[in-house]
Amino acid sequence: MGLLWLATQNLSRRAFRTVMLAAAVAVAGGAVFATTVVLRGIDQSLTRGLNKFGADLLVVPQNALVNMKTALLTGEPSTFYMPESVIADARAISGVTKVSPQLFLATANGQHCIVGNAFLVGIDPATDFTVLPWLTNKLERPFVGGDAVVGGNSPYGLGGLIYFYGQYFIVYGKLDRTGIGLYDNAIFISIDRAYGLAEAAKKYEDVPAFGFKRGDVSAVLIQIGNAAKANLVRFALARNPEIKVITAGNVVTSVRQNVAVLFGGTLVLTAVLVIGNILMITAIFSSIVNERRRELGLLRAIGATRYGVFQLVEAEALTLTAMGSLLGIVVGAVLLRAFTRTIGYNLELLNIPFLWPSLAEIGVLAAAIVCLSMLVGTIGAAYPAIVGSRMDPYDSIRAGE
Amino acid sequence: MIECKAVSKTYQIGDTVTEAVRNICFKAQVGEFVVILGHSGSGKSTLLSMIGGLTRPSGGQVAVAGEDIWQWSDNKRAKFRNQTIGFVFQFASLIPTLTVLDNIALPSLFGEGMTRAARLRARDLAGIVGLSDKIDSYPSEISGGQQRRVAISRAFLNDPRIVLADEPTGDLDEATEAQVMDVFTGMCRQHKTTILMVTHNRDLIKSADRTLVMKDGAIL
Repeated sequence: MGLLWLATQNLSRRAFRTVMLAAAVAVAGGAVFATTVVLRGIDQSLTRGLNKFGADLLVVPQNALVNMKTALLTGEPSTFYMPESVIADARAISGVTKVSPQLFLATANGQHCIVGNAFLVGIDPATDFTVLPWLTNKLERPFVGGDAVVGGNSPYGLGGLIYFYGQYFIVYGKLDRTGIGLYDNAIFISIDRAYGLAEAAKKYEDVPAFGFKRGDVSAVLIQIGNAAKANLVRFALARNPEIKVITAGNVVTSVRQNVAVLFGGTLVLTAVLVIGNILMITAIFSSIVNERRRELGLLRAIGATRYGVFQLVEAEALTLTAMGSLLGIVVGAVLLRAFTRTIGYNLELLNIPFLWPSLAEIGVLAAAIVCLSMLVGTIGAAYPAIVGSRMDPYDSIRAGE
Repeated sequence: MIECKAVSKTYQIGDTVTEAVRNICFKAQVGEFVVILGHSGSGKSTLLSMIGGLTRPSGGQVAVAGEDIWQWSDNKRAKFRNQTIGFVFQFASLIPTLTVLDNIALPSLFGEGMTRAARLRARDLAGIVGLSDKIDSYPSEISGGQQRRVAISRAFLNDPRIVLADEPTGDLDEATEAQVMDVFTGMCRQHKTTILMVTHNRDLIKSADRTLVMKDGAIL
């Protein structure tokens, strides 16, 4: 048994004060924990989702930039088209290693499609490098023309049958959830079958005509070789005034700008809570040290060194903040769990992708919050601990006589 | 064992300089029981705190076993207070959050650690001062006299070579006072413990080997 034992004895015998202080730390720790988990979820969703996107560059029609970002982030159907000549142009540029087209179309509401207003994306299975290579949950055979890949949010399971405009598709694979709307909500079919769907839809009088002809594409995804410089490729592509080139970084930046206020607000909140806690701990421990002058003087008289007194005060602050932050994390986790749906819904309204971090990551965040709280405790109690350790033992013992 | 050479202590509050202790010279031998008698404010407690390494003298030397303790580092003095000195203060001076047993065993925390042996010794000491049945009580649950006996037991935990007692029987009834004085004299005789006891109670002189009288910061 050492100073930590003495510190815990002091804390446990002054239960009301300990609980109140721990609760104050818990409020701050819990708030920082909950917001950090949510922000981590957003950041992770952006990073993982857009990494999975796999393309260095995305070519879309000039006027479709905003629609494309919305389509990517929310999975809302967006339809815009450009001639297929873009594919050949891109392939001809030095440094480009992979080029794959995509065709976007929306399904109709009503009886013609199993899911109304769904975002259908036609991919070229021969050249695709953004959907099929990422499938882990799929049928044990190659992708064929009548297959579909559904997003992580889809209710349909492997082998299920879905139909659009009288055409049936087998659910070949299901993507993992990413938080990025396109990959979570869209349904991917082969581009040939997508053209076919447009033909098939013509027989329904209540379905408006699709605005493309066979061969048109909505987007061209480009991967660049390691040695090639993205800017040179972008420059070469930009000679075509009808198109716009987007990078994954553009999209991330765009979303980050959207959530900048949230990030900034959280940083300010964290800073305010950290500084507030430091000041609170300094004030309270100054009072505690003053109140226990005689006790500290007595400890010095029976053999405690100055450093020992310093350690004792710090040990109490560390124990208290560790307890408080653990309590805060538990409360924060319970609140996050209770408001899971609300958080997801509100972020979706703001077009902010979100994916819950894994338990391991939440554990790491929790440990980091505990460490941060203990650091706050250490800093906050440092001045009172120094004052306590430097007090003259005899004067301290006689204090209050 | 203890030698004070021209020890003095002055306090300055504003422009006023107060000489609490003036040019004290005396020696106390191993196993000697010295009572320092004096009225309140005569400087006897301040003298005791300088001998115990708690307050730095303004002048002079305090030597223990030939070494000036005020030339030592703060850590060495802390070890000296833990290993060589046992303090009994005017007031009960217990840690309110610890039980009687833990209070008695507390000095071991800064030495060998609060070991089982230390706690057994603390239990024995509690028995010597008649508090065996109170070892699990907290200071607020026992009387002032019992608290004083706990403080005395604590002073003897590490078998100190010197015990410095400041009015140790201040608020004890006669029977307890006699019991406490028996503890002091017994320790002094059996363990060759040097005891310096500060008091204003002339009745305690009879237990002492020697009595020093202090007045206005000086030994008469």
